[in-house]
Amino acid sequence: MADIAVYTSRRLLIGLSLLAFAAGLTASRATADPKPGIASPPVQTESATLDPAVAAANAEEIEADVSTRSVAITSSFTGVEIIVFGAIANAQPEIADGGDYDIVVILEGASERHITRKKNRVAGIWINTQAITFDDVPSYYAIYSTKPLDEIADPFTLRQNDIGFERIRMRPVKGWETGITAGGLADFREALVRLKRDERRYIQDEYGVNFVGRSLFRATVDLPANVPVGPLKARVHLFRQGVLLDTFNTVVKLERQGLERVLYVFAFDYPLFYGLFAVLMAVCAGLLASAIVARVRR
Amino acid sequence: MGQETFGQVNPGRRTSWSQDFSVERLADCAGAMNFYLPIAEMSVNVFVFLGMGAAVGFLSGLFGVGGGFLMTPLLIFSGIPAAVAVGTEAAQIVASSVSGAIAQWRRQNVDVKMGVVLLAGGAVGSVVGVQFVKILREAGQFDFVVSLSYVTFLGVVGALMLIESVNTIRKVRQGQAAPSRRPGQHNWIHGLPLKMRFHRSKLYISAIPPLVIGALVGFLAAIMGVGGGFIMVPAMIYLLRVPTNVVVGTSLFQIVFVTGITTVLHAAQNYTVDVVLALLLMIGGVIGAQFGAVAGERLRGEQLRFLLAALVLLVCLRMAWGLIAEPSELYSITSGVTGGHG
Repeated sequence: MADIAVYTSRRLLIGLSLLAFAAGLTASRATADPKPGIASPPVQTESATLDPAVAAANAEEIEADVSTRSVAITSSFTGVEIIVFGAIANAQPEIADGGDYDIVVILEGASERHITRKKNRVAGIWINTQAITFDDVPSYYAIYSTKPLDEIADPFTLRQNDIGFERIRMRPVKGWETGITAGGLADFREALVRLKRDERRYIQDEYGVNFVGRSLFRATVDLPANVPVGPLKARVHLFRQGVLLDTFNTVVKLERQGLERVLYVFAFDYPLFYGLFAVLMAVCAGLLASAIVARVRR
Repeated sequence: MGQETFGQVNPGRRTSWSQDFSVERLADCAGAMNFYLPIAEMSVNVFVFLGMGAAVGFLSGLFGVGGGFLMTPLLIFSGIPAAVAVGTEAAQIVASSVSGAIAQWRRQNVDVKMGVVLLAGGAVGSVVGVQFVKILREAGQFDFVVSLSYVTFLGVVGALMLIESVNTIRKVRQGQAAPSRRPGQHNWIHGLPLKMRFHRSKLYISAIPPLVIGALVGFLAAIMGVGGGFIMVPAMIYLLRVPTNVVVGTSLFQIVFVTGITTVLHAAQNYTVDVVLALLLMIGGVIGAQFGAVAGERLRGEQLRFLLAALVLLVCLRMAWGLIAEPSELYSITSGVTGGHG
């Protein structure tokens, strides 16, 4: 992302006449980057970055969309699948069978505070004794890719773009007083991700993005019944041989509707009246039941 | 889905863009009768919770008890967050005890003055209890305290009932008459100040014991999701020596109001009352209770008490097991501002 931004601004500033100089900078930065494990052939990198005409006209871009931009959470909501689809524009013909392009689709819910607690045995009883509070943890995180992430790009690039469960942002803010060491913190992070995965709120499918034809791709994203309500940020990353070429962003809205919405607003915005309503409902139900029973017995 | 199209050029077998929106999927949703609970934040099968309400309703009709002590643990075992189970069950107890309370009122089996004193204590206990729930949830200890309370109270009450019913059964077998209650002996309660006259109960005692008993029951109602009859009835009989004919009516009178207050407080402070879940349990409960009451008429009192004691101890043991056995998952998470998954 940063590389591209820098590259683009340079390209605009320096112009065609200073291209050789710019290319030299790009090349030197690329070699200086401490990125292990990229086996990108230098010839192709140069053809993409050196030739200005090719770069301007033929830079690969993603054009994508989601099948449903607004999902209604109603009382009968049992989860839904939405499709993220798109195409690679300017796909280079010789590698356009999808084999060399990699797509990562991520849907992310709003960041929330999460508390991870751990039980320990105290006098024979299992009690929560340790807790770490994490801030800015995505409430939902679904990641679909064309192949395992470590084969798509190096850990540095993945971290820069928040790609993958291990790289989900979560900021520990308190809980050190409960006796948690740095090593223990990793266990708490892992546990958070594991429990989120058990809840189906964190989802990963390493082969969940499929190419259809030459440059079309699609991913079926699972929004389970317990998906956190709120806007989901959707992003699609395009990689080729470890290099992030383009990112597409959009938003999927999740909104409570119908009875579900009425009850939720009632319960959280007018809690006192909601409580009184619950009691009134209970009294009526009890009276109605006894009236019916009395009539039936007679 | 997945792998088959990855990395392959297969123009003859394109994946259909609309296959994920099949009619079968919509039909499945309707057939399973799932309902999304707004507070518990989960999609549940309507029939499971109607059935649960009916089963507990049957038992409460059979034994003449409120059933909160059975329903709340069942809800927790079925995955409803403990705090939501407790708050919602309070609303259900209002429904299940209101008709009984009115029937007792009509038969003039309610000592209103005693009931009001108990209720005054109960209201205080409930306010404190709901606040206590809030603090415990923030500390992540609510589930533990609920389990511990159940183990303690069900263990004691169940053991006492078991001993009493076994003794009675044995005496009946030996041909002795069941012992009647000894008439009012003076105990330490009669030494307390603030004496009041309770005409209906033919008592002249201090207001402090009923206030304290009421407060304890209100507190337990708030943290355990029970009506508290299992504490209230024995306490009224053995400590206050209220005549048995007004005990049940007065206790029901107090329970309706205290669980009503508890419901409102839980909703207002903890956002843990799920009206959809409560309604399902109410519907199941009233139907089950009718069948239970009919079945209960065929059993003798001490036999019923023996069975109830066994049931109480069973729930107690199940709760105790949850505390002692090593959990398969040591970690747990709470998310969001309200922490609906406490």
